Amino acid sequence: MPPGSFGLLVQGAAVSLALAAAAIAGGTLFAIALTPLAFSRFAVVRALYGLYVYVVRGTPLLVLALLVFYALPALDLRTGPYIAGTLVLVLYVGALFAEVFRGGVLSIPRPQWESARSLGLPPLAKFRKVIAPLVTRYTLPPYVNVCVMTVKASSVLSIISVWELTLAAREIIERTLAVFTILGVAAALYFVMCFGVDRIGRWLERRLMLRGFVGERA
Amino acid sequence: MIRIRGLQKSFGTLPVLRGVDLDIADGEVVALIGRSGCGKTTLLRCINFLEEYDGGEIRLDGEPLWYRAAADGRRHRVSEAEARRMRQTMGIVFQQYNLFPHMTALENVVLGPRFSQRVPAAEADALGRRLLTRVGLEAKISAYPAQLSGGQQQRVAIARALAMRPKILLFDEITSALDPELVGEVEDVIRALLSDRIMMVLVTHALGFAREIAHRIAYLSEGSIVELGTPAEILERPKDPTLKEFLRRMR
Repeated sequence: MPPGSFGLLVQGAAVSLALAAAAIAGGTLFAIALTPLAFSRFAVVRALYGLYVYVVRGTPLLVLALLVFYALPALDLRTGPYIAGTLVLVLYVGALFAEVFRGGVLSIPRPQWESARSLGLPPLAKFRKVIAPLVTRYTLPPYVNVCVMTVKASSVLSIISVWELTLAAREIIERTLAVFTILGVAAALYFVMCFGVDRIGRWLERRLMLRGFVGERA
Repeated sequence: MIRIRGLQKSFGTLPVLRGVDLDIADGEVVALIGRSGCGKTTLLRCINFLEEYDGGEIRLDGEPLWYRAAADGRRHRVSEAEARRMRQTMGIVFQQYNLFPHMTALENVVLGPRFSQRVPAAEADALGRRLLTRVGLEAKISAYPAQLSGGQQQRVAIARALAMRPKILLFDEITSALDPELVGEVEDVIRALLSDRIMMVLVTHALGFAREIAHRIAYLSEGSIVELGTPAEILERPKDPTLKEFLRRMR
């Protein structure tokens, strides 16, 4: 392994993780705003939601990244690759999270809705006390799935010159030609990060399931 | 009191309620019986507006519920906020308990008072504890529904309905999903409620229990109340041939 390259790769991994964390946080908030649109009373709003999801899901992330990267300056927004890159990821995983949450809302059994209605709960309390906690528990596994994917998806941002793990690896390879060593280490670092995210997810799952979901499957 | 006039409802082209009239006096307990599909559960759900209905009206203490006649003569649903206020005057208990699985027994019971009626937390808590004690579950205050038996869950559900301080309680076959040995504990809770003199409407197949606690029994068939009377009149001296047949099958 060329001297000093491991340190650079770890730094790159830290940037990747920071990008993923920002994308997961931003994407989750974005999705919380998006999902209700899918259940709007107004067909136009539902159609807009569907359109957004289809467009984002139907576009390769690479294309989306280039599009946003070149579009922002054209809109007179000088932001640089890091802001643009984070924005791309937020837009992308926001759509995926929104679909995950939509699935969660759909899996709330009708009797639960009726209980909430019969108690006359106002909309905000219904969301906070009933919908959100149930959706969180129903959607945790697919949500963590998207989180893991986000860590890996951040590598695409190397194309718009975001210096993260993949770009760091490519730079070192160009200098040293140690292709397999560097790529191997980079892959291992991605694996460790994804594994970590997955573990956090499992831990959350156990915690939440313990609180009231014991025996739910029975 | 509740006053129901000409209640009509169809599911698509299938009529399920064909002009139901029913009065329930303050403190009165009315049981709704009939074959499955006769409309008794739908009637109960219409009272609480879990089902919309196509015609007729329901009044509670004179106030028309759920719909208002507009200037153009057509009727409109009341606003969501008004519907919420009206629902707070009623409690409903379902066949399958329908407790919120992520909340403890106490949290389930105080949810309505806390967030629908804006009762201060400490006061709602005290009310919740009192009600859970009343249904015999003071030891299960912190238990989640999954840790409770069916009978215990149903008693929590009754406490949850009572926590709204309702004028009327609606029971939808609340013992039908229970193991036979758990039915008694739930029926005991209902018996104990009689002294509160809250209006109660119960849809039930348990004719013995209906005879014991109901002041009147309504027999529904094909979306209408065909016979209405005291338990003795309905169960011992039925006139309608389909009711006689129904009672024969139930024995």
